[in-house]
Order: sequence, then C-alpha cells, then structure tokens
Amino acid sequence: MRAHRSVLVLLLFLLFILQGAVLPWIIPNSWEMRIVPNLVFIVLLFITVYHHRHTALMLGLSFGMLHDIIFYGRIIGAHSFAMGVSAYLIGLIFQTPRAPLPLMMTILLLGSWLEDSILFGIYSIFKLNREPYNWELMNHMLPTMLIHFALGLLLYIPVRRQLEKLKNETHKEEKA
Amino acid sequence: MLKLFKLFSNKRLFILLITLVLFIVVMGFSLGTRKSLSWPENFVRDTTGFVQNLFYKPAGFVAGLFEDIGNLKDLAEENERLKIIAAQYTREKAEYNLIKADNEHYKRLWDLTQAQRTKYNYEYHYAQVVSLTTEPSNNSLVIDLGSRDGVKPNMSVISEKGLVGIISQVSNFTSTVKLLTMMDSSDPNSQPPIAATVIGKIDQTFGMVERYDQQTGRLIMTRIDEKDPITEGDTVISSGLGGLYPRGLTIGTVESVEVGEFGLTKTAVIKPAAEYEDWKQLLIVFTPEEPQ
Repeated sequence: MRAHRSVLVLLLFLLFILQGAVLPWIIPNSWEMRIVPNLVFIVLLFITVYHHRHTALMLGLSFGMLHDIIFYGRIIGAHSFAMGVSAYLIGLIFQTPRAPLPLMMTILLLGSWLEDSILFGIYSIFKLNREPYNWELMNHMLPTMLIHFALGLLLYIPVRRQLEKLKNETHKEEKA
Repeated sequence: MLKLFKLFSNKRLFILLITLVLFIVVMGFSLGTRKSLSWPENFVRDTTGFVQNLFYKPAGFVAGLFEDIGNLKDLAEENERLKIIAAQYTREKAEYNLIKADNEHYKRLWDLTQAQRTKYNYEYHYAQVVSLTTEPSNNSLVIDLGSRDGVKPNMSVISEKGLVGIISQVSNFTSTVKLLTMMDSSDPNSQPPIAATVIGKIDQTFGMVERYDQQTGRLIMTRIDEKDPITEGDTVISSGLGGLYPRGLTIGTVESVEVGEFGLTKTAVIKPAAEYEDWKQLLIVFTPEEPQ
C-alpha cells in the first residue's frame, strides 16, 4: 500500500509540474487568460469519490499550499483552503466507489465550480478582486469547467486504475 | 453551557475550527508586505523550481518549433521590415553616441555626486521563465533567477515589448513575478502605481498608471492634468520619477482619453504593450545599488 500511495503522490506532483510548465504552451493564446487548468484538483476529485474523502482533504491541503507558495503573488493559503475543503465536501456528498463515468463527470463539473467559487469568495473577503461574480463565472469559471471536463475524460482511465490498485492492496492489508 | 462543552468535545468539530482559524491567520499574515521568505518557503520554492525548469524548457522548445513552421510565411515580410528599422537604427546610433558623449561632458562639468551620475546605468539580466499560472486573481509566473543572482523584490521585469510586472517574492534560486494584470489600487500588497509619461512630450505629460481593468484588459492611467497634451496613439513610458520603476520602460499605447472621476483630471485608457502569455525569456532591470 505504501508503494502505491507514494506513486499517487508522485503522480500528483508530476501533474502539478505539468499544469504550470507544459499546459500554458498547449492552450491557445486567446484562451490563455480565461482558462485556469488545475490537473491536481481533477485527480483529487477522483480520489475523493473512489477512495476516501480524508485522503483527498489532506492531499488538497498540501498541494494547494504548494501552489500557494510557488505562485505567491498575494496571499498564502487560499488554494490550500479551497482545494481541501471543496474536495472534502464533494466526497462527503458523493463518495460512491462504484460511480459510473457520467456521474463522475457531473461531479467533476460541480467540484470545479465549487472550488473556483470558494477561491472567489476568499479573494472577495480580502477585497482582492473587483469583478462581479457573474463576470467571473462567464469568463473564467465556465471555460475552466469545460477544460476540466475534457482533461477529466483523459485522466479517467489511468487514475481509476491506479485507485483500484490502491484499494485492492488496502483490502489485502486489512485481511492480513 | 454543558451543551456547548459537549459540542466542543466532538473532536472533529474542534479540529475544524482550529484549522479555520489557522487558515485565516496565515492568509492575513501573508497579505501584508514581507521583506523575505521563511526557510520552508524557500526550500519548497527552490526544489520545485528546479523540477519545473526541467519541464518548461523542452515544452517551450517543441511548442516554439511548431510555431516557427507556422510563421515561415510571415518571416520574409518581417525581415524586410526589420531591415528598414536596422538601417534607421544605425543612422540614429551615430547621432545617439554624439549626444551621449555631449551629455556626459556636460554632466562632468555640472557638479554631480557619484550616485547621481550612475543613477541611470541599468543592467538587464536574462531570466528563464519556469512556470506560470493564469488565474485571474493571482496571475504570476516563476523565473529562474533568485537572490543568489542579486534579484530583489520590486525590481521591474520586462519582455522585449514592454513592462510585464515586478518581482514580488524572492527565494534563493527562483523568484515570483507579479504581472501588471494584478495591479489594483485597492490591494495593499499590489504594485505601487507607475509614474508615467509619453514619448515626445516627456516634459509636458505626467500621470500615474494605477490599475488594470480585468474586464477590458486595459491599464488605467489617472491623475493627468486637464491641460495635458496626451492623445490617442501616444506611447506611454515610465518616467522614472519616484524611483521604484526605472525610466524609459514601454508600458503601452493610449487608446482613449476621458475626463476623470471628479472632472478635474483626465484618465487615459492604455493598451498594454506586453502580451501576457507564452514567455520563454524575460529581462530583469537591475537598478544601480543605492548607497545606504
């Protein structure tokens, strides 16, 4: 189980690197300022639905903190909070290890909207954004949701397989 | 009262509340101005920066290759244009050298201190972009120069087209650049406004580039005098007054001039010169060390 868990963390780290370093090159220029891809969060949603919400919460808090520290422009802790809490809440409501693909995709859309909204909320509490929610929703959140949907479809099979392995080993360990 | 205690004996709720308070404290703490980063932050930034560096360069190279193939057609045209500019440049360079020599001569005659003399000797250092985030409320990128290379917070960062942003946080080997798109006069931690003027009317025009309008993607320059000759199409540059921003950095072109909030001043809408996407390299402007 240990081996698989560390594989999972490494995978998340790799995705984090990819989303900062490679995705900007792939996204067309005209869309670049509107889309905020968050690969780590997509995988977190898979984890929270198929595995357990507590794992997702801890991973969300730590990877959000990583993002906050690396791209420290204004405040530290916003992403950490948003990713952790939204992954946990989604898990609390939808944790079903046998969820089929369509349900999972719906959850993905919901989750990415929830995370962006929490982020927006944090920034508004500290008065760091001037734009109204409607505008943000139309210009950033909806395009991001669509991209997350596409990326989620891409990641679905490999991530689910990985989680399946993780679960099998957990079972074995419990039996032993 | 007993009920309250019972509520708090619930471990999960207790942890939840503690974390919530902790988060608010951390956010509030990081919101203020900070001179340097703590060592865990430094460590995390530097190690991740190293890995990101391994990925960004090859990705940029591949993307650049495809772009180059796509751009092949425009190249001949661009070449033509550049040749004309180069010819003009060589002509002007001779003139510039003459004027510069003259200027230095006069400066020597004029009684200036050493610090005043070297005030405008800027150095430009190339920095490799390592990764970036396009989030609207926190638009920043990471470059591979850090405090080891002499980078300090609040240095200006430019691309070949114009001013991009300023350095917000520095660790040993990497630093974070806060883009101009995050400029906001109501944010206590934002870049300070840029004292700006216009090419060709340097001694007549003055204003402050104060914030970036996310919805239209334009910079707003305020506090321009009513009698100011600023018009559409002028190229806005930093004036160097105030000391934080070096002088002569291109900011953008004026798109429209309106009457300001209270009717006593004018406000200009500026189209930024730099595009906020796809960077490989940026230049950091090192200003000469000020004697303490």
